[in-house]
Amino acid sequence: MSSQPPPRKQIVRMRVNGRWREDAVADHALLVDYLRETAGLTGTKTGCDGGECGACAVLVDGVAVPSCITLAARCDGHSVETIEGMAQGGRLHRLQKAFHEQLGAQCGFCTPGMIMAAEALLRKNPKPTEAEIRSALSGNLCRCTGYVKIVKAVQIAAEAGS
Amino acid sequence: MNASVPGTPANARRGIPLVDGVEKVTGKARYTADLDRTGALVGRIYRSPVNHAEILRLDVSRARALPGVIAVVTGDDCPHPYGVLPVAMNEYPMARDRIRYRGEPIAAVAAVDAETAEQALALIALEVRELPAYFASDEARASDAVLLHENKEGNLERAVHHAFGDIDAGFAEADLVREVSIDCAEVNHAQIEPHAALAEFDPLTGRLTMQSVSQVGYYLHLMLARCLEMDESRIRMIKPFIGGGFGARVEALNFEVITALLARVAEAKVYTELTREECFLTHRARPQTTTKLKLGMAKDGRLTACECEVIQRGGAYAGYGIVTILYAGALLQGLYRLPAVKYDGYRVYTNLPPCGAMRGHGAVNVRHTFEVLLDRMARELGLDPFDVRRANLLEAPTRTLNDLMINSYGLGECLEWVEKASGWRERRGKLAPGKGLGMACSHYVSGAAKPVHWTGEPHAVINVKLDWDGVVTVLTGAPEIGQGSSTMAVIAVAETLDIPPDWLRVICGDSEVTPKDNGAYSSRITFMVGNAAIDAARKLKGILVDAAARKLQASPDDVECAKGSFRNARSPEQVLPFIDVVREALVNEGTITVKGTFTCPPEAQGGKHRGGAVGSTMGFSYAAQVVEASIDEVTGEVTVDKVWVALDCGHAINPLAVEGQIEGSVWMGMGQALSEETRYLDGLPAHASLLEYRVPTSNESPPVDVHIVETNDPNGPFGAKEASEGALASAMPALVAAIADATGIDLDQLPVTPDRMMDALIERRRRARREATRKVAP
Amino acid sequence: MTRPIHDFRLLRPQSVDAVIEARSMHENSRIVAGGTDLIVNLRRGIGRPSVLISLDGVEEIGQTFVSPDGARIGSGVTIAAVLADRELAAKFPALAAAAMTIAGPSHRNLATVGGNLCLDTRCIYYNQSEWWRASNGYCLKHRGEVCHVAPQGDRCHAVFSGDLAPALLVHGAEVELAGSGGRRRMPLADLYREDGRAHLTLADDEILVGVHLKHESLRSGYAKVRTRKAMDFPLAGVAVALDGNVGALRALRVALTGTNSCPVLLQGTDELLGKPVDEALLKSIDKLVQRQAQPVRTTLASANYRRLAAAGLARRLTDSLATGNASVS
Repeated sequence: MSSQPPPRKQIVRMRVNGRWREDAVADHALLVDYLRETAGLTGTKTGCDGGECGACAVLVDGVAVPSCITLAARCDGHSVETIEGMAQGGRLHRLQKAFHEQLGAQCGFCTPGMIMAAEALLRKNPKPTEAEIRSALSGNLCRCTGYVKIVKAVQIAAEAGS
Repeated sequence: MNASVPGTPANARRGIPLVDGVEKVTGKARYTADLDRTGALVGRIYRSPVNHAEILRLDVSRARALPGVIAVVTGDDCPHPYGVLPVAMNEYPMARDRIRYRGEPIAAVAAVDAETAEQALALIALEVRELPAYFASDEARASDAVLLHENKEGNLERAVHHAFGDIDAGFAEADLVREVSIDCAEVNHAQIEPHAALAEFDPLTGRLTMQSVSQVGYYLHLMLARCLEMDESRIRMIKPFIGGGFGARVEALNFEVITALLARVAEAKVYTELTREECFLTHRARPQTTTKLKLGMAKDGRLTACECEVIQRGGAYAGYGIVTILYAGALLQGLYRLPAVKYDGYRVYTNLPPCGAMRGHGAVNVRHTFEVLLDRMARELGLDPFDVRRANLLEAPTRTLNDLMINSYGLGECLEWVEKASGWRERRGKLAPGKGLGMACSHYVSGAAKPVHWTGEPHAVINVKLDWDGVVTVLTGAPEIGQGSSTMAVIAVAETLDIPPDWLRVICGDSEVTPKDNGAYSSRITFMVGNAAIDAARKLKGILVDAAARKLQASPDDVECAKGSFRNARSPEQVLPFIDVVREALVNEGTITVKGTFTCPPEAQGGKHRGGAVGSTMGFSYAAQVVEASIDEVTGEVTVDKVWVALDCGHAINPLAVEGQIEGSVWMGMGQALSEETRYLDGLPAHASLLEYRVPTSNESPPVDVHIVETNDPNGPFGAKEASEGALASAMPALVAAIADATGIDLDQLPVTPDRMMDALIERRRRARREATRKVAP
Repeated sequence: MTRPIHDFRLLRPQSVDAVIEARSMHENSRIVAGGTDLIVNLRRGIGRPSVLISLDGVEEIGQTFVSPDGARIGSGVTIAAVLADRELAAKFPALAAAAMTIAGPSHRNLATVGGNLCLDTRCIYYNQSEWWRASNGYCLKHRGEVCHVAPQGDRCHAVFSGDLAPALLVHGAEVELAGSGGRRRMPLADLYREDGRAHLTLADDEILVGVHLKHESLRSGYAKVRTRKAMDFPLAGVAVALDGNVGALRALRVALTGTNSCPVLLQGTDELLGKPVDEALLKSIDKLVQRQAQPVRTTLASANYRRLAAAGLARRLTDSLATGNASVS
């Protein structure tokens, strides 16, 4: 519609929640927009104007990254995990279960990013201390809980083991 | 399963997870930004680059001509002022003739994609004649200041003057009279979900469907009808999942009206999502407040008189301003016994984004000032901070001087618990250097007993539907925004019917399906909707008991209903499962729908004085907290190490959720005390990001020990009162008291950022040096 | 749906030479490493490069080598990788301490050593949206004529806020640069100049490929003040490295960030060598910091505070390192 030529796109292959996808992606597209708009995975949220709130955290090759300042094209050939990939076999992931049961989620908007950040922590450090949990989640803002029940949920999930 | 067994104390019960929690932890919950936007146009708002100006020319023709632009709207498209208070509607969704703050919407476009919408904004031409702009209350109140609103002399939106009791006699009786002036910075809700709205106008039916982040679908519905000159019946409001509110969305917001206007002009679906910066520009939060307070105190700590002046820097439009300035005065009372109260409040128009309601609406900054002064006077009289509060406790039932009704009052028990849990008696004064303990109290209303739009309807209505499949569906207009209101309604119905909550479903917030509800504000839902839910459930229970009696061939009086089944008390072996009773009840009747209501009686609706309805409520929650803090004297950094808090919520319908609300509110108060503030540079928001607006991270957030006090309010649902706002306002003064305990420094400004703390530490050093020289000098 | 970033082409060359070639071929290009600084700015409409040259495919710069004599850290090594490297932390404690304070954990997984060293300078008048900056008539750093922080002056005062630079400066780091003219090494301090608009001395076709550190068995630490304990740039950051003890210092280096348009390696510390670490020495350090730190109002926190906090941190760090108190980060 606009007078400019359409944005340049490249074919990007990405393993999203275990399945390979292939999409035409503009170079300037952000991973969060790719996930939400192209892949339809709206569980990943945006809460700020770039890199400030952590609501968009997803795992790329197993580590948490803010998808709102990550270019989708740079994830070509990589594995991306989002909140939608966490529950397996008809059962909630232990972090999801703990966040639900401990009220780690109130409004729920920071929850997907929070759970992904916690998952990255537990994969690296299965028995974190409270200080380690707080540090690992320090890039994820929550406005409802004061983090009290979030920290508790992660502790309980850690105790539950994988 | 019982979340709410009467007789079992809240702290021994667990409660249940949120009924919509699984969607939230799996990413399935659809917030406004996640809705199906197939075919939707992208809405974008053109905002004022200047602070205060007359519009000389606004030319949108080039934007309109850009291929891909489907609709452009300006102030011309809506000549109707709107606002949440019928007496103070002075805002247009887009400025007409006059611009009053930087960032005010002036025009908007709907285009096929975001890039095109962006380009269109750049083609809008605006010519203005700039006017002097005022960013501080005193500048705006100056006698020669240009008026922001023609009929508002002195740029005052409202001046309040209230006096109760004999103020002179009160001060005369005092052994100590002290005064403070405390400045609290403006803060923002900063809910993590940015504002968004999806509006669809169907030209074939003339109907508008609106989905947005609103906490008050009904008020938004009213304002859309007004601004779009549409019949209310042509508008449908649907509430998606909402990512927090805290008051940010308790009035119709300009972007919502604009999105609807765009949809109608475009005859299409339009989606508008604000940036975080635009959320800060939309604002509607707690105003910068200067509170001057004078208290009289007897030697034993009894308060004898209270004189208070509050100046709120309200921003450019009315919003809730009148209510905020009235709350500030009204809620001086209701926490302690006060024999005389004089209040002067000034709500000032300034050229900044409009303020509004935020968690603890109106009460927070005044309570902070009150508690801080109380603490300092206690110190001067050699009284313990706990003892000075105890010297002023109320006794329920009572009414305050300004006619607020108090039927339950657990502040004494709150004090007792936090005093003990924090080890106050053993530990205070004996902590390591740089550490201190402070305490404070606070309270808040359980819903405004008089809603802003008075219609004569009940304060809350709920429908409960029961059908052949045995599902009990609770239909409520009460907006679930993360606070757990839907879960509360489910528990209220399930407990009354004595069936597992899992057998219930909730439909929440669809104007074509659910009964009207005033919305999620002033902590009204638990008290009002909770009571309505119980009322509906009792009616349904009556129907089921009658049906069971028919089937058991027993008298209804003999039918016992427990744990999901019905039996004949006279022959207990006769047991009917729930579903059998349901089907019996449906014979000749079909689907059952019952309605429950709740109405605040006139005696709850406040005093007869002007503005007396604000502050009036069915019941107050009460909170006490102790804060332990550390101060780094090298860097001025203040750390909250731990908080102990007790809250009297009457009865915890869902203890898990009550705890969550208390933790969250204490923490939000801590944020206001430590790091949160909005700052403007020549009217531009320097704080308009989550980097510069410093919501505390998990690293500096303390553990919070919560204790629930249950006083069983005679009118509350199962005895319940509010639980989500009452504990906020004591967080700030408790921290300031802890800092005073640690350093001997009395702080008169919030937030206590490291630079402010450092300034105070330097000042203390200077003073000590001055005093030392004075002593040395002959 | 985020606000669209302007259209650009992303190149992902696989070698340093290819990066330099791409750089010389595309005039309006920018290098992107982790992107945690650059992409945030692009999202706010700061700069419109037509080409981004990504370093993520360049293997050479993604490695760290530690030997008994020192270390070479590739510019593409992530902050998280620095933190995970125990050998590095043992030899250069200030580096790990500084890395731990950068942004939040997920940023540290993307952000790189090179990116942090080349971090754009920051200012409350600059790190704002396009609407904001346009409404304010832009500023000297980008598209405008006036520095709103010091309107009378003729320079940009935007402040350097990288945390790693001071830590590396006190460990005597050198940087390795690659350009069309070949490679060169220079002291890290020479990478910078005191100009908020152009604080890096890199030539247009040059990129930072690595950092070289010599092992000197210094005790070191880094401390920073900020309003929050995560997700905040330093209002002032201080690194100290020293050798000796309370009786006499054999080596002392102090470096600052968050106070000037470039990181500052404190001058005049050599004169304190051989002296005991007592109140007089700490006072001297305090004075040196207060004189050489030149914060102006680029942040909402006051400039004076940042100066005082920097001085206070320098004193405390020196004291605790000299007395062997390890808890200094």
